[in-house]
Amino acid sequence: MSDLESDPPILKVLLLLGLVLVGFALMVDVRRVSWGNFMGNSLKSSRPTETCQGEIRGDIVLSREKLAAFLTISERDPKSRVQEILPQSYCQLPTIEVRAGVVSEREVYPLAFDPHTWLIVLYEGEEYAGYQFRFQAPE
Amino acid sequence: MVRIIGIEKCIGGLAIALCTTACSLNPSPEPMRQIQIQQNWAIKPGDRIADHFVVAGLGDISIRLGGDTAYAPFAGRVQPNSSECVLFSSPDVPAYLFRLCGLSKPNLGEVQAGEAIGSGDYLYFATLRKQPDGTWTIVEPAKDILERILKSP
Repeated sequence: MSDLESDPPILKVLLLLGLVLVGFALMVDVRRVSWGNFMGNSLKSSRPTETCQGEIRGDIVLSREKLAAFLTISERDPKSRVQEILPQSYCQLPTIEVRAGVVSEREVYPLAFDPHTWLIVLYEGEEYAGYQFRFQAPE
Repeated sequence: MVRIIGIEKCIGGLAIALCTTACSLNPSPEPMRQIQIQQNWAIKPGDRIADHFVVAGLGDISIRLGGDTAYAPFAGRVQPNSSECVLFSSPDVPAYLFRLCGLSKPNLGEVQAGEAIGSGDYLYFATLRKQPDGTWTIVEPAKDILERILKSP
């Protein structure tokens, strides 16, 4: 008796289902790769990333203690409160206008314990607006 | 015949293995990001009125894109916020979020400055500023940011 005759019908159905599934999976994968290539070739950035302008103070880094003290400051507090803890920055990013009529200044502080991570602090006039961490790719 | 059936079994096994691999290669989808907006308008983007979606609300700037592309103004991250809207955040712009509604098939996840976020007929754009209590308030966007979003890099 051959395998065709001995195999139960459920096995044949499973085999067919497997083929259908692989066909679907390959279609999904091809679509993903094609879209990725399209995005990579046609729509990737040619705009430069934000970099320091003006003076760079290479010796300025932010210790764990100062970072912990800084994180206790609330948004909208006076800029002077932040500057009591962080008197000098590593550098400044170019000024930008995010909100109509308000110029934003951005100060950069590399972390002493992780120099590839920058703390970026944004001020609007004499007001502290907020912070973010930026992860730099090692050169 | 015996040999043919043996090949069928091999193909079936290969099919299941390939399917499993292909499925596991797919990146996990960008998670939905919900935020609390300080201005609690009665009608907000994402609401439905008489079986129609509300795409924009008070505080959104409406721009006729005409099928053009909206670009990331800085390096950052695009996260879904509702079925019609995405949120763009950037470590280069602390304290702010940008909400873009009306784009079809937005490019979710990490994006470089100038990379496409999506395209559509109309863009509904809002700038959100972080409040000390963790909520976000809609503010008037500057032209500079809108130009970065609309101009091809």
